[in-house]
Amino acid sequence: MIDVRKLSFVYSPKTPFTTQALFDIDLKIETGDFFGIIGSTGAGKSTLVSHFNALTRIQKNSGTILIDDIDLSAKKLDLKKLRAKVGMVFQYPEHQLFDDTVEKDVMFGPKNLGLSVDEQRERAKQAIGLVGLNYNDMAERSPFELSGGQKRRVAIAGVLAMRPEILVLDEPTAGLDPIGKREIMELILNAKNMCPTVVMISHNMDEIAAYCNKIAVLGNGRITGVFEPKELFGSEALLARCGVELPLVTELAVKLSRAGLDIDRSILDEDELVRAILDLRSENNA
Amino acid sequence: MRDITIGQYYPARSIVHRADPRFKLVILLLYLITVFFCSSFFSFGFMTFFVLITVFLSRVPFLKVLKGLKMIIVILIITSLLTMVFYTDADATPLGEWWIFKIYLSGIYASIKLGWRLLLLVLMPTVLTLTSTPTELCDGLESLLSPLKKIKIPVHELALIMSIALRLIPTLIEETDKIMNAQKARGAAFESRNPFKKIKAMLPVLVPLFVSAFRRADDLADAMDSRCYRGAKGRTRMKVMKFHAGDVFALLFWCLITVCILFLNYNWLGWYFITVLGL
Repeated sequence: MIDVRKLSFVYSPKTPFTTQALFDIDLKIETGDFFGIIGSTGAGKSTLVSHFNALTRIQKNSGTILIDDIDLSAKKLDLKKLRAKVGMVFQYPEHQLFDDTVEKDVMFGPKNLGLSVDEQRERAKQAIGLVGLNYNDMAERSPFELSGGQKRRVAIAGVLAMRPEILVLDEPTAGLDPIGKREIMELILNAKNMCPTVVMISHNMDEIAAYCNKIAVLGNGRITGVFEPKELFGSEALLARCGVELPLVTELAVKLSRAGLDIDRSILDEDELVRAILDLRSENNA
Repeated sequence: MRDITIGQYYPARSIVHRADPRFKLVILLLYLITVFFCSSFFSFGFMTFFVLITVFLSRVPFLKVLKGLKMIIVILIITSLLTMVFYTDADATPLGEWWIFKIYLSGIYASIKLGWRLLLLVLMPTVLTLTSTPTELCDGLESLLSPLKKIKIPVHELALIMSIALRLIPTLIEETDKIMNAQKARGAAFESRNPFKKIKAMLPVLVPLFVSAFRRADDLADAMDSRCYRGAKGRTRMKVMKFHAGDVFALLFWCLITVCILFLNYNWLGWYFITVLGL
């Protein structure tokens, strides 16, 4: 569980360049959530999530975050323990690859946790399998000779190998083609079996609508609201207020419904839409 | 990493900020030469007065300017002290004596003057970098050096290299920051005291950093190519540097100060009051 209480954050305090990125954020993410965070560029999404594993330390008198029983505003923090617990996948994670083989790169996290070499290798093997790559093919290859999508998988494997309980992803599908996007989302869903809580930042409303069970909307460093997907994408008033666009699927459903077809306007999933259209057709035929 | 500032530009609206960087550079050069001609306490005070006025006009907080001196304060104290203890003056009797050191009154004067001169030498360049962005300085330098093109020195290319380098420093710092965070999230520790361990710990940062620097360089070259960049020939500027009456006035004013200092130093006309002022 992540419990954010009255969190504020100021960049470059006491200089001419000072800007406040977060204002009194209150947020609760339960264990088992697939939690989406959306908001326009510069809304403070990345700043917020970088607090979750103490890469950004909470400033004095700027609120607190509790992750299970760890208080992140405490002066003395067991960073190793925290970072093993909260795995963080940044934007374009493939840019962090550095070692000469895929296996060694994935073993970097477990190695930093101080595990035995056997354990490191075991974890790397599992993580590489988890992201849908073939361990035997990949282990000895250089990460720099892989394709873009493969690199990203290896990078995500590098985080999963630490066996986090909470996985935080900052736009995991940015810059991939539609098939690559879907594959990454499927592997995250797959990883969720092992790591129960997932927090994802995304600009892609289709992903947010299809995978998340709760969505927080951020605007100018403040929480505009926390909603369930049906609640948010089903209400035009709410969407307008939050400045959020509809997922493409929902937009299509809305258009079909406007054209006079009997289709639910809050459909969030491609399969659901296809089913609704097929149902409609069989009804008409009958 | 964010705390590293290369170039210490302090944004403010002031006549010093607005001034033409070429004139600022020329004035700085003139000023530095002038400082070397200062010999009496009066002339040092005279120069300091005008430096303080410049600082005041620049609207940069005085503490910020003093911060720029932090780096040299140790050098300044050591050189002054050494001058004081090793100064020899055959005509005068020492004020005090200890082991091989003899302190003379003229030695104390000389050390104060040396310290003061160093201070003046650093103060003005600090003001320059506080009030002009690195890009402005780079463009100003290119413009001032452009006559060298006549003797086939690739001034434009050098300036371009310099401005690209300056431009990419913040980007690379940001990149380093990101990569360090990504590796920290994987449990990397950069806090080790042992320098060898520290270098080894930096490897997971340096490799991706180099990879990204090369990628960026390639992208930039492609972008320039696709816009038909072909060097200085026939190239015009988007921001044409213009000087104003104020710039010329400032330059003339500093010329006047230089003349004053020269007079104080050489006293060509043999005026009595200068002899009194000259200490």
